[in-house]
Amino acid sequence: MATYSRAQLERLLAYLIALAAILITLFPIVWILGISLKTQRDAFALPPKWLFEPIWDHYIALWEKPGFVDAFLNTVYVTLLGVGMAIVMAVFTAYSIHRFRFRGKKLFGVWLLLAYMLPEFLFVIPMYALYQRIGWYDTHIGLAFVYQVHSLPFAVWLIRSFFKEIPSELDDASRIDGCSHLGALRHVYIPLAAPGIAATAILTAIWIWNELTIALSLSFSQAQTITVAVASFRGYASIAWGPMAAASIVAIAPMLVFSIIAQKYIVKGLTLGSLKG
Amino acid sequence: MPFRRQGPAYYFIAPAVLVLAITSLYPAMYSAVLSLYNWNWGNQFDFIGLRNYLDLFKSDEFWQVLRQTFLFAVSATAVEVLLGLGLAVAVDGLKFGAGIIRTLLLTPLMVSGIIVALMSKILLDPMLGIVNYLLGLLGIPPSPFFGAAATAMPTVIMVDAWWQTAFVFIILLAGLQSLPPEPIEAARVDGANALQIFFRVKLPMLRPILFTVLIFRTIDTLKVFDLIFGTTGGGPQIATEVMQTLAYREAFSFLQMSESMTIMVVFSLIVMAVCLVYMRLEERIED
Repeated sequence: MATYSRAQLERLLAYLIALAAILITLFPIVWILGISLKTQRDAFALPPKWLFEPIWDHYIALWEKPGFVDAFLNTVYVTLLGVGMAIVMAVFTAYSIHRFRFRGKKLFGVWLLLAYMLPEFLFVIPMYALYQRIGWYDTHIGLAFVYQVHSLPFAVWLIRSFFKEIPSELDDASRIDGCSHLGALRHVYIPLAAPGIAATAILTAIWIWNELTIALSLSFSQAQTITVAVASFRGYASIAWGPMAAASIVAIAPMLVFSIIAQKYIVKGLTLGSLKG
Repeated sequence: MPFRRQGPAYYFIAPAVLVLAITSLYPAMYSAVLSLYNWNWGNQFDFIGLRNYLDLFKSDEFWQVLRQTFLFAVSATAVEVLLGLGLAVAVDGLKFGAGIIRTLLLTPLMVSGIIVALMSKILLDPMLGIVNYLLGLLGIPPSPFFGAAATAMPTVIMVDAWWQTAFVFIILLAGLQSLPPEPIEAARVDGANALQIFFRVKLPMLRPILFTVLIFRTIDTLKVFDLIFGTTGGGPQIATEVMQTLAYREAFSFLQMSESMTIMVVFSLIVMAVCLVYMRLEERIED
């Protein structure tokens, strides 16, 4: 009989824990994917059917369902618009906070924090009233604009922590070379922090894509996002598993693919902010 | 510092200030002012002072919902931090496969809360759901999950843990991997076992990051909306109603705009107080 060292047993235990966690993490998604490819009868079968003949009816029905494809495209527009606005403004703001000392800087920091963390409905109802008046209710620009309350502070904070990573000699060098602030941004900060800015853009995109609370209150039909469209399935969830599962899979697929491609950036963005503060 | 040198600083933050003024300052003040009226989206628009606040504090429903919000936030945060820390420690010790394990465990963070909610309704269906079936194979009696007042809240907490433990895990794993190796090596040479090294050496060094994660998860769970909205809708009765679903219901189902804003003003102050307490606590521990 082989005897194992303590370290080997510890490692075996660690692998078992990781394996269990992966199973619990992935099983629900895989099972829902299965449901989306099952007939109603197969979906409700007990004991559950592990092997079945996949059908594509639920996906075809989604494609033909009025408004669903539009909701998907709306989300693409709103996400691109919202990420664009947040990143452009955040780069300048982060540079300003990083490079200057100015009166009100601390107050501005507190404001960013409050905007980021206060509950959505504090902001949403007044914005609803405002948007009804100025015609921004149920528009792409209206949603992308209101998302800045969360995305802009997040992007400023993250991009600033990436700017902090840039060695100050490079910054000094650009100053000696007579670079203007815009020059320093263009030739030093933006190129060197590019991976960090990409990470910020990716995390912001994931947040906007997945957002429900604000979209539910400020969009209706013209700008309805994918999460609101999927939420409309919840009423008759108990009977229509197939369509609901298919809609869920369509809504999460872009972000899952995205996360595999951009994994490094996502981890970098998620961790740097909290490690460096 | 002379004002002239501050000039560019202000130009550069001006767009952000303008956008944040419209999206946060204006609505927050609007909410604060409107909470002093009796606006219900109609013609009625009278100044009634603090009546909304007094009515709110007198209502049993408000206190029950506030308790439930904290019950959810504290339990979900605790479960997620414990599980996330355990996972991070386990994966940190692995030499082979840590990258792929991390990628797979990150998946739930890519999924929208409302979709997590809908998925859980299918999986946790009391009659036909796969989870009750699997529990049955292990000889565990079926649970009504979202369907009964006693099990609804623990179920929502469990679902949130499935969704957000990865966030805690990924940050604490990065934290563990960035710890200086010398003290850990020294403890190992002195004959400390893995548990001792973890509790005596790693955990104290990890504390600042642990604090950050705690604040993030607490604030985020206090603001929970999607999960409740998509699963129980606050029910059965109001057993899983939380502050944000209550505000939503008041505003969009009952059109009680002023009451909804009153709830949000009070809740925002509570969230800010929680943040302050955390910060003070951290400062005190640092000293």
